Amino acid sequence: MSILVAFRIGLREIADHKFRSFLSMLGIVLGVSSLISTMALTTGIERGTRAFMQQVGGLEYVSVVNKEISNEKFEFWNLSPGRTLRDAQAIRSSASLISHVSPELSYGGVVASGAHSDRQQIRGVFPDHFVVARHELLAGRFLSELDIERGLHSVVIGNEIALSLWPEDDPAATVGKTLLIDNQPFEVVGVLLKYERDEDKRRRAKGGSGVAISRSGRRYDPFRHKNESILIPYSTMFFDFRSGAFPLDSLESVRLDSLTLRVGDLNHFRSALDQVRAALEVTHREVDDFDLETREEWFDRMESSIRATKLSGGLIATISLVVGGIGIMNIMLASISERVREIGIRLAVGARGRDIFVQILVESISIAFIGGLLGVVASVGLIEILKLISPTENVPVLTAGGIMFSVAFAVIAGFLSGIYPALRASRLNPINALRYE
Amino acid sequence: MSLVELEGVSKIYRVGDQEIRALDAVDLRIEEGEFVSIIGPSGSGKSTLMHLLGCLDAPTSGRMQICGNDLSSASANRLARVRNREIGFVFQAFNLLPKLNVVQNIELPLVYSGLPSAERRQRSEQVAKDVGLGDRMASRPVQLSGGQCQRVAIGRALVNNPRIIFGDEPTGNLDTATGEMILKMFRDMNAAGKTIVLVTHDTDIAAVSRRVIEIRDGKIRREYSP
Repeated sequence: MSILVAFRIGLREIADHKFRSFLSMLGIVLGVSSLISTMALTTGIERGTRAFMQQVGGLEYVSVVNKEISNEKFEFWNLSPGRTLRDAQAIRSSASLISHVSPELSYGGVVASGAHSDRQQIRGVFPDHFVVARHELLAGRFLSELDIERGLHSVVIGNEIALSLWPEDDPAATVGKTLLIDNQPFEVVGVLLKYERDEDKRRRAKGGSGVAISRSGRRYDPFRHKNESILIPYSTMFFDFRSGAFPLDSLESVRLDSLTLRVGDLNHFRSALDQVRAALEVTHREVDDFDLETREEWFDRMESSIRATKLSGGLIATISLVVGGIGIMNIMLASISERVREIGIRLAVGARGRDIFVQILVESISIAFIGGLLGVVASVGLIEILKLISPTENVPVLTAGGIMFSVAFAVIAGFLSGIYPALRASRLNPINALRYE
Repeated sequence: MSLVELEGVSKIYRVGDQEIRALDAVDLRIEEGEFVSIIGPSGSGKSTLMHLLGCLDAPTSGRMQICGNDLSSASANRLARVRNREIGFVFQAFNLLPKLNVVQNIELPLVYSGLPSAERRQRSEQVAKDVGLGDRMASRPVQLSGGQCQRVAIGRALVNNPRIIFGDEPTGNLDTATGEMILKMFRDMNAAGKTIVLVTHDTDIAAVSRRVIEIRDGKIRREYSP
């Protein structure tokens, strides 16, 4: 008997017992739709997390931080100048695998515009900062080499700052306005994009109340720091705000508040770090008062939590598919005990055990396959519901791979659960089967 | 060589630790073109004999050869193949598949002999006309009378052009007139060259054949020609 004939018989059997077939499919429908939805959810989480990783600077982001000096070098502590602009210059000139270096000075001052004033953290930076911190412009321009060279009073501000200083204005329209930092006028030359996570973007699109939520400050916002940036030229920062405290400091020797780098090529991540270490050993005169902080561990943790989410979701969905398979097996067993006589007749006219086996197996696979297709349809609806009540922070993403995987899985479940009933049916003795009432 | 050759064939069933000797060292030869009846009361072993002859079962011991195939210890698949090619069955209870129509029921043996679909359809429709059901081809068994059902069964037995046709009480569920008509069909098939083996407990029916084999307690009691 050809497989095609077996399929025709199987489909007719399914059509003749619509309700029963539907009940046995139900488990598969639910299993497949939950598997697809789970995969869509975890894909959404994965994408959201990856995007977040990129927005916070990606794996390329490396930070030079201060460290306790080890005991054996402790007496030489005053040999090291600490993190200074010279470090940045040394890295630029000798660490070829580092593409950008961003030294930073910061200062807490009063930022004001007209009636509104507030204490804020102000940072003096170089143009490289915009690359290292992955800033994007909403309007205007970044700080330029000219701003640094001339110590101009230019400032680039984050979206939140623009909103809080000029609440009536569109942030993009604040370019060209003047704000005061400790009573010194600065011209806004650029406004940064509003950085937000997917969920906030969605919530804002839905209710239009995104601003209120992000301002309330109760919820954790990983981009708050970036959105509240006030960036002025490094030189302006030093000469206007930082040179008074320690008169002996020069532009070169003042201790940095932050020194961050960007690795040019992730394939050479390790050697890039080695280059940086070698450069800094020289400028720090071999005093080990610095360390390199990377995001590897943090990102690894994120990746492993993505994997864990995927695994647990997949496991639950798999269990429901297995339960669906057992449902099919149950129905197939009931169906063959109802069809013993039919099987006897088929055997009497020359069907081999193998033909009966194939027929029952094909029927079971057909039920699972149709159930799988219905499950795909159901999952589309389920995902729409999940989007509304999403327990995660990301939009579920339906992928073709996920659909194919789930349907294939359902077919395999149908195949496995059909084997035992098919085996039993194929081992029937024709004489007993014919006598069966 | 004879079409059917049994030599010392026994069939023993075990029920618990009890042995039931359903057939006891039976010798039997049936030549091509014969019309044989097997008679005997219930429990005599005539059904067991028919199951062996019909390749539904293999003997416990003895030598059995049917249509040139030695089936003394054949596998289930081998028996199935012989059933499919060489043997047609007509049962007392018709044994049609209720979900299939007349033509599909007749087609059933061809499905398992691996014929292409178009040829199957053509041959079964021809056979349906031959057994006088040319106008009922799309009917289901429940829409047919007993006599018509048995015609379908005869059509199904004939469709693969087998050499032997078995009738297991083929008139048992029919009224006398219809039974006569079915028996006539068996005679016609015999006249057309088929070997016929009828199993019955009714000596009147056995009287239509040319050779009667009487079975009792698993042994051939006597043979005669009516």
